[in-house]
Amino acid sequence: MKKILLTCAALILTAGFGTATASTPEEDKAAWDRFYQQRFPNVPEEDYNNGVYTIDKVGRENWEAIEEFPPYEPFIDAGREMWETPFANGKGYRDCFPNGPAIAGNYPHWDKETGMVMTLPLAVNNCLEANGEKPLKYKKGPINNILSYIAFESRGQVVNVEIPGDDPRALEAYEEGKKFYFTRRGQLNFSCAHCHLQTVGMVLRTETLGPAKGHPTHFPVYRSKWGTVGTLHRRFTGCNKQVRAKPFKAQGKEYRNLEYFLTHKSNGLELNGPGARK
Amino acid sequence: MQKRSIISTLLLALLLALGSTALLADSHGGADPRAGQVEQAINDAEAAREKAGSVDGEWRDTAKMIESARKALAAGEYDKAMKLAREAHQQGVLGYEQAMSQQELRIPSYLKY
Amino acid sequence: MTRIKSMIGTAAGLTVLLAGTLAQPVAAADGVSAVTEGKVLSEDRKKGNCLACHMMGDGAYPGNIAPPLVAMQSRYPNKEKLRAQIWDATANNPDSPMPPFGKHRIVSDEELDKIVEYVWTL
Repeated sequence: MKKILLTCAALILTAGFGTATASTPEEDKAAWDRFYQQRFPNVPEEDYNNGVYTIDKVGRENWEAIEEFPPYEPFIDAGREMWETPFANGKGYRDCFPNGPAIAGNYPHWDKETGMVMTLPLAVNNCLEANGEKPLKYKKGPINNILSYIAFESRGQVVNVEIPGDDPRALEAYEEGKKFYFTRRGQLNFSCAHCHLQTVGMVLRTETLGPAKGHPTHFPVYRSKWGTVGTLHRRFTGCNKQVRAKPFKAQGKEYRNLEYFLTHKSNGLELNGPGARK
Repeated sequence: MQKRSIISTLLLALLLALGSTALLADSHGGADPRAGQVEQAINDAEAAREKAGSVDGEWRDTAKMIESARKALAAGEYDKAMKLAREAHQQGVLGYEQAMSQQELRIPSYLKY
Repeated sequence: MTRIKSMIGTAAGLTVLLAGTLAQPVAAADGVSAVTEGKVLSEDRKKGNCLACHMMGDGAYPGNIAPPLVAMQSRYPNKEKLRAQIWDATANNPDSPMPPFGKHRIVSDEELDKIVEYVWTL
């Protein structure tokens, strides 16, 4: 009898854990891929890095016309100049990023030493500060020049975000990003998933909702609405404001972990930043 | 002609402004008793906002509402200030409740594992 | 002459403004005007913004995220049920993406009543 009770208890416990959050990053990725594959059976896998234009045919024509004279080009040029101009101490970005400038494919990654998700903008500012330079703002302004240049030089690299198994904090950061993605927020009560998974491809007024898979491949992005190039975290801020939630700090832990989780869902896609959007 | 009309406009505006201040002050029976109530309401709203923020549940406009309520209070517009403070308070409470309802990760059923 | 006109205009404008702030608006909306006001509120992007997701009446550029708002009186037994759905759609369906317009005070109680009056006619 006692044995039966124990077995029952054990079963209940396993069931309880089983239904919670026990999916691994690989299982998550497979579930997302299956979901989009079923929702858009005719979209070739490698096309997802074109974001919403993967599925919005009319929008795609306009976008392709814009790409003939890319609005982000001056920003790439300004970034190249930043890359080549030495800091006051005579060193430069090259000294921080010896494999540069094509390094976007290495980010975001888990940084075991600092115990946090390292993003490219954060690494750029770390480099500046280590050389006695003033760090750049994370949403608007010149950070977008250097990021545009690095993104352009990194085109064709394949997204490959790893969640290393030798540091449990990495999985924790990933799980926090996942939690963020599915959490309802703001007065309008939306989670990221409501628009970019559940109702993806449908039309909100006149805007087609884009798939989450492929979202981070083309940042920084020139947005006609902004009239300039902006960072991924600036876009996160905009999303949170749209659902009437108080946005989080750009490059704060919340958005970095979100970037970690989200970019993992684009593993296997080619980087194609900087991008151009409406 | 031009100068005179400008002066008259200004005078008229001043009169109206004075009149309205008098009316407002009158309708609220002089000074303080309501100011204290409004201030309390603003403090309550601020506490609710901070509580929501402590669980990442703060909404976009709550802090702005509280700021507007403070300005309205300073201008003696007690009704407006009270209304804003109460709305901000509600937002703080609702934002907190929302965040608490979302404590556990729920993977939607349309994702097949 | 124009100056005098503008002066009168300014003064009149100020008076109207003042009257507006002082007089408490009396909401004695009869059925017809509630429906009309409800239509305006439901189309207002900062209020109902129903068209973002629903096809609704003659509203321009509707979204297609949620079902078209047609035959409401056959879909809901009464206005109260309809009101409850707009108040908080997640009460019935936890996965519903529809914002809880009443519960989260996106519209006021009075505004919600008017929106219900309008949507009920569809």
